Amino acid sequence: MSDYDRSGLGRRCLLRGGASLALTTGLLGNVSKVSAAAPPATPAIALVGGELHVGDGEVIKGAVVVLEGERFAVVSGPAGRARIAERGARVVDLDGKILTPGFIAADTQLGLIEIEMEATTRDDSLAGADPVRAAYDAAAALQVESSLLQIQAIEGITSAAVAPSGGLIAGQVAWIDLVHGDRSQMLVRPRLALAGSLGQVIGGSRAATLSRLRELLADARFYRQRKGAHERGQLRQLAAHPRDLEALAPVLERRAVLTLSAQRESDILAALDLAREEGLRIAIVGGAEAWKLAPRLAEAKVPVILQPSENLPGSLDTLSARLDNAALLAAAGAEVVIGVLGSPHNLRNIRQEAGIAVANGLEWERALTAVSLGVARAYGMDQTHGSVRPGKVANVVVWDRDPFELAAAPQQVYIRGRAIPMVSRQTLLRERYRDVGREAR
Amino acid sequence: MKSRVVLGLQRSGLAALALMLGCRPRAPAEPPEPASPALAAANSTAGPSKAKEPVAAVILLRGARVMTATGEIFEQADLVVEGDTIAAIGPELTAPAGAAIVDLRGKTLTPGIIDTHSHMGVYPAPGFGAHSDGNEAVSPNTAYARAADGYWPQDPQLERARAGGITVAQILPGSANLFGGRTFTVRLIPGALSAAEARFPGAPEGLKMACGENPKRVYGNKSGPSTRMGNVHGYRDAFQKAVEYRRSWTKHHKALAAWERGDKKDDKGQPLESPDPPAHDFALETLAKVLSGELLVHNHCYRADEMLLMLDLADSFGFKIRSFHHAVEAYKIADKLALAGTAASIWADWWGFKAEAFDGIRENAAMLSVAGARPIIHSDSPIGIQRLNQEAAKAMYAGRHAGLTITDDEALRWITANPAWALGIDDRTGTLEVGKLADLVVWSGDPFSVYTKAERVYIAGELVFHRGVYEPRSDFEIGLRPGDVRGEAEEAR
Repeated sequence: MSDYDRSGLGRRCLLRGGASLALTTGLLGNVSKVSAAAPPATPAIALVGGELHVGDGEVIKGAVVVLEGERFAVVSGPAGRARIAERGARVVDLDGKILTPGFIAADTQLGLIEIEMEATTRDDSLAGADPVRAAYDAAAALQVESSLLQIQAIEGITSAAVAPSGGLIAGQVAWIDLVHGDRSQMLVRPRLALAGSLGQVIGGSRAATLSRLRELLADARFYRQRKGAHERGQLRQLAAHPRDLEALAPVLERRAVLTLSAQRESDILAALDLAREEGLRIAIVGGAEAWKLAPRLAEAKVPVILQPSENLPGSLDTLSARLDNAALLAAAGAEVVIGVLGSPHNLRNIRQEAGIAVANGLEWERALTAVSLGVARAYGMDQTHGSVRPGKVANVVVWDRDPFELAAAPQQVYIRGRAIPMVSRQTLLRERYRDVGREAR
Repeated sequence: MKSRVVLGLQRSGLAALALMLGCRPRAPAEPPEPASPALAAANSTAGPSKAKEPVAAVILLRGARVMTATGEIFEQADLVVEGDTIAAIGPELTAPAGAAIVDLRGKTLTPGIIDTHSHMGVYPAPGFGAHSDGNEAVSPNTAYARAADGYWPQDPQLERARAGGITVAQILPGSANLFGGRTFTVRLIPGALSAAEARFPGAPEGLKMACGENPKRVYGNKSGPSTRMGNVHGYRDAFQKAVEYRRSWTKHHKALAAWERGDKKDDKGQPLESPDPPAHDFALETLAKVLSGELLVHNHCYRADEMLLMLDLADSFGFKIRSFHHAVEAYKIADKLALAGTAASIWADWWGFKAEAFDGIRENAAMLSVAGARPIIHSDSPIGIQRLNQEAAKAMYAGRHAGLTITDDEALRWITANPAWALGIDDRTGTLEVGKLADLVVWSGDPFSVYTKAERVYIAGELVFHRGVYEPRSDFEIGLRPGDVRGEAEEAR
């Protein structure tokens, strides 16, 4: 029996045996204590003999994947077995199990919301009248002890693009790896994108919203050129606070993506025009009617971050919402990103969403890309994240079967090169009450 | 190794599956073409259409995997529908004379899916302010209100639920109030022009009650209640008044009976008028019908402590709570719910959106089943209702992964037999049994797979949905979907 199997079995037996809460929390506590310190040198891990779905469309059977430190050191077919010994790696035999990159949650408030209805547990939105909050950096508010992190992580979500919400420009997006309890490892890159919204944000008018956004971008350019004049008090009134205008600079310079929430065809079209005229890199979030513009989105290389199950005319903006949105976009060559938009509590259902997209015509490997490499590409993080390739951050999941199937469960999740404890607040609650109804309490 | 096979099958089978389902590949962004003349006709703007397939009095559904939700699964069997009723089930039945035969080899047949918790029609799509008819949020007790009176039968959410295999749903008022009002149960037949036409004939009505945060939040800065203490006072006060209301009517009926028996003259021989009835009060009448067992109580309640409190309260007034709804902490009191005979209508995995939902776990349903209680997977969502089979699957597999034994049949009961019981219609529907209504779903494969779709849906023997062939649409979307006004019909959503 492989090392991996034994450790897995051991843990299951421990829990099934009705382990006391103290014991199981102790397990979790130890782990967070260890990871809170500087990561010590851990022996390399070789995941051997799995069916690797790399994330970019390639499939490698009998794969050899060596995790060394926080990165993938070796990713190859069976021939790579020769390189395991030289790395001194501990071998985990996967015996044909499925291996995928960790899934990535796009445009989520994970780490910023604990309980939606309790304002004191939320830092996702800067309250106030000013709809321009470009300088709002939610990363500063990240809750690294959030119960949501492990609940998603043990279901195969390993990274997230954490975005604030609300207003015309909600603020700065941060990239995180789901390393519970450890800010230094969790916060991979703050301020990698800006999150904004189209629709009736300004003055109850979508036209006014677009006009304000153009004005904002123009003034951001203006301010960048005339900073000195501003400091001397010689500049006219600007469209936003200089701090917010300054925060828009990376978007103007195409160093950062501007994500724009837009559902209706006309809003998506307006976003495409804006991006072309201003030379911006944008991504569409929501995109209920994006399929109508599929060739244009493909041509402009604008990714669409969508939730496949959203097929209702919940407002007149989504009249043409349909279940094969993702398939139609992909067929036209557009980049599709699949997400669970809205509440961050069940980001783990991203794999069901991917399955729904497949059931409605999206090719399976494209769906995998849409929850991994595609997300990384949309946010410009594909140099380090999104697929199982040498040199990238070692976020990888071992599955017992097709991960989009409802029957599937992760056997082990690795984040930044380490096997995470497959424990969450929910598994602990389950164990505490496991015997209700079976014996007198 | 199994997983590799599953994956391989799944990928290679996709193109074939797509063809089978009539989803031909097509150039994107073109106006979609009709899948077939039949579909175009069914989906035309001409008016509420009926199935174009010849309607036979007798149908033989041949060769499907038949999951009965009674404990029995036939790997391959036939089912005969006569009129609105299941006439026979079993392997290799002889086709009755004149029967239309439908070949379902490779498909799976289950009872129609039933949702105990829906706001379709009262919170329809689009979510216009003008359409918001689910919460009569003017007073914490609106037991007089009736969901049927706010129901819009043209809600386009209904046809999407039907396409997901839903045949029956309970429509409830919202949870703003302690007493939201009366619920009613609908069949998802196409073309219903009123709540009355959609209503499941003979199904008992329910009373929607709500615990916890919502009434507190809605009335905290108004009339109250502003605490859970106030909530419970509201229930006790109302039921006490209902006891007294019922007493006054009992007294009146006695007096009336005495008057009718007597000679209708007083001591002095003057004519004696019949006794005046007490004033009618529609809210108290609803509660009095709960006390008499005529209305079933559906109680929105998340926390274990509050559910126990409500069980005690119901006990003290002598009524039963038929089902708790949402009940995210039901697993903590699974034994007590089993003992009380109260069902728990729950989500597969929703949690954490409010404080009282913070302890939700995905093994809730499985733990209830193991304890002998009656779990139900409900939707409370126009998206979730389209895949209640998948929601049940998630809850079933969560249980299995935690080492609990849950059979496919048991999980199927969470969305068929158990909700039928909670709605008081289990003698008519909810399982595949001879004599029950032919409420049926034909699935493309395993109903617990993410890739499976409902292909045909029958309600009381009538084919109400046939994927790619007959997909009836509500009035609302006529002329609003791409292609409509160019004279083309929509192929798929």
